[in-house]
Amino acid sequence: MPTIVVDQISKRFGSQTAVDQASFSVEPGEIFGLLGPNGAGKTTIIRIILDIFKADSGTVSIMGGPMTEDKKNRLGYLPEERGLYQDVQLDRSLVYLATLKGLSGPEAIRKVDEDLKRFDLYDHRKKKIKELSKGMQQKAQLIVTLIHNPELVIIDEPFSALDPVNTQMVKDLLREERDKGKCIVMCTHQMHQVEELADRLVLINEGRVVLYGGLQEIQRSYSGKDIRVHALSDISTSLPGIASIEADNSGHRIHLQAGTSPQQLLQTMVESGVQLEKFEIALPTLDEIFIQVVTAQGRTQ
Amino acid sequence: MKKFWLVFKHEYLRHVLTRRFILAVLSVPFFVGLSIGLGFLSVFLGTDRTPVGIIDRSGLLAEPLINPNENRGPFEFTQFEFYNDETQAQMALNNKEIQGFYSIGPDYLKDGLITLTAVKALDSEASSDFTNLLRANLVKTQPADLRERLLNGPEITIHSLADSRSVDPSNVLALIMPILAGILFVVVINISGGYLLQAVVEEKENRTMEIILTSVSPDQLMAGKIMGNLSVGLTQLLIWLSAAAIGAVFFANIETQLGGTQMLRSYLLVLVVTFIPAFIMIAALMAMVGATATEAREAQQIAGIFSIPIFMPLWFITIIIEHPDGPLAVGFSLFPLTSPLTLPVRVALSTVPAWQIALSLAILVVCAVGAVWLASRAFRLGMLRYGKKLSLRELMRGTS
Repeated sequence: MPTIVVDQISKRFGSQTAVDQASFSVEPGEIFGLLGPNGAGKTTIIRIILDIFKADSGTVSIMGGPMTEDKKNRLGYLPEERGLYQDVQLDRSLVYLATLKGLSGPEAIRKVDEDLKRFDLYDHRKKKIKELSKGMQQKAQLIVTLIHNPELVIIDEPFSALDPVNTQMVKDLLREERDKGKCIVMCTHQMHQVEELADRLVLINEGRVVLYGGLQEIQRSYSGKDIRVHALSDISTSLPGIASIEADNSGHRIHLQAGTSPQQLLQTMVESGVQLEKFEIALPTLDEIFIQVVTAQGRTQ
Repeated sequence: MKKFWLVFKHEYLRHVLTRRFILAVLSVPFFVGLSIGLGFLSVFLGTDRTPVGIIDRSGLLAEPLINPNENRGPFEFTQFEFYNDETQAQMALNNKEIQGFYSIGPDYLKDGLITLTAVKALDSEASSDFTNLLRANLVKTQPADLRERLLNGPEITIHSLADSRSVDPSNVLALIMPILAGILFVVVINISGGYLLQAVVEEKENRTMEIILTSVSPDQLMAGKIMGNLSVGLTQLLIWLSAAAIGAVFFANIETQLGGTQMLRSYLLVLVVTFIPAFIMIAALMAMVGATATEAREAQQIAGIFSIPIFMPLWFITIIIEHPDGPLAVGFSLFPLTSPLTLPVRVALSTVPAWQIALSLAILVVCAVGAVWLASRAFRLGMLRYGKKLSLRELMRGTS
């Protein structure tokens, strides 16, 4: 049973359409990317899923039905615009928010202590939140999101304000949670982060779903005429089937001429004695796919 | 329901446990006590306690009745020394044993002549004590009841025509108490409202709101916030009232001075029944402002607009006291923002027709309900609007 089913939801603010007939579903045990540029309607969709906003039309089913007070204890949410009570001590703030998620007082205190140690914040537990660095605050937010061991985790822009070390830590953490069978929705405009993490994704532009499916299928279906090659010898542009060659990291990226298949090029290269280390079909990045989709959309409009 | 208590406890403790709150609560009784104490101290230090001499040639004070006024508050009756002639008295004055001496002429009853010899003017307490002593001894042969009337004068009470309740205009305490209590209550309403405003705006400003809302229902959140912050105000009030009660026991018997428990009871009743809807109304208005405004400073400015009418009756307090049934007082006691301060004062000073009390309370209750309705709407609509104000039109039309 999917953890979230979004069915044809729409939402308008005044004359502006924020979400337009969006549908997708999220399964347990996967990291699901909810992607789109700034202002695409991602946060609005999340707020509708969380019952903070009501959709104008369409339905959302979460953990098997509409949102209830009981279900709020089974989900963790890390909003994009983060913050905690600035004037309250870190541990007090965390314990309060944990008890609001249904943990008993003593249990909350024990778990908060445990997590503070795990996230390297234990020595700062008596500080007020405003005295912590941005990265520390972000980690505190993650504690709040995960402390009650939720089945569903929704994270909006998880990597903003994090340095590379902490980014890696969060990535590991999210994978770990997924492997425990949890459903993780990751909402971001940083698409390269998703390429590493997400199993499936939905891409939103101007409130509409423009792409939806497994990451690899999507990449494969958008992979076109490009080949990535590492060769020990030079590749001549005069080889039949090659439109152009450009340097790409340590290798080359070859654009095929129309009508040439990758197999044909491989055959040609082998026959002409190019020493190949690596030959692969270049999967487009999500950024590239996104630009491709949006420009195509713009043309049809 | 459990989460309501969590919100309540959190809102309550986060204010009550701060150093700022403890200081604010303790500073008021401390400074009031300090200024009263300093007042007494300066009177005490300024009073010359040196005895005063008397040379009595009239025989009026042959068997003097000393200390005619039994109840004189914290200060003792001036000590008088009797001398037979002027040289004796002059010597005592030169030796600074006395601050001066009166000589009562032999024909005092006829001519009323008394001379005072002193280095500088006598202490005012001492001279009024001398007059009292003289009066008491002049009438000491009269029957006790006559003596009492002659010395203490009439006790006038004013009866209003409509009712039997009455206030002695010379009893300042009965006049000031309701006003002070009213001010105290309104201050508490305002303080609690301020805390509430701060709590709502802050949660919005620091974006904790979304986390809270995915944990608690908006209704429980609102209720917990309002009750928690009300309790902060009540704690403050309770501490102040206990301090005042201790002070009252220490200084005087306030209840007898208040002129009867009947008035006290109806006054307190009206005070409490106006306080409850008034608080709910103001708290809801504050929550509404908090939910619609984008930042704390802006919210405080808007909230200031509500505070002005609440305190406005104070500007016109003399008119209200002089004409408690005049059009201004009646108008103020009907308008919901001014009635919490005006109505109890009117009830204490005059006879307010039952229909006016009922109408005033009804208007308050209706406004309180309306304000709560608007607040929960504003809460739902405005709580997640960052950096964008919620307009009144959107609020009234309100779809979320």
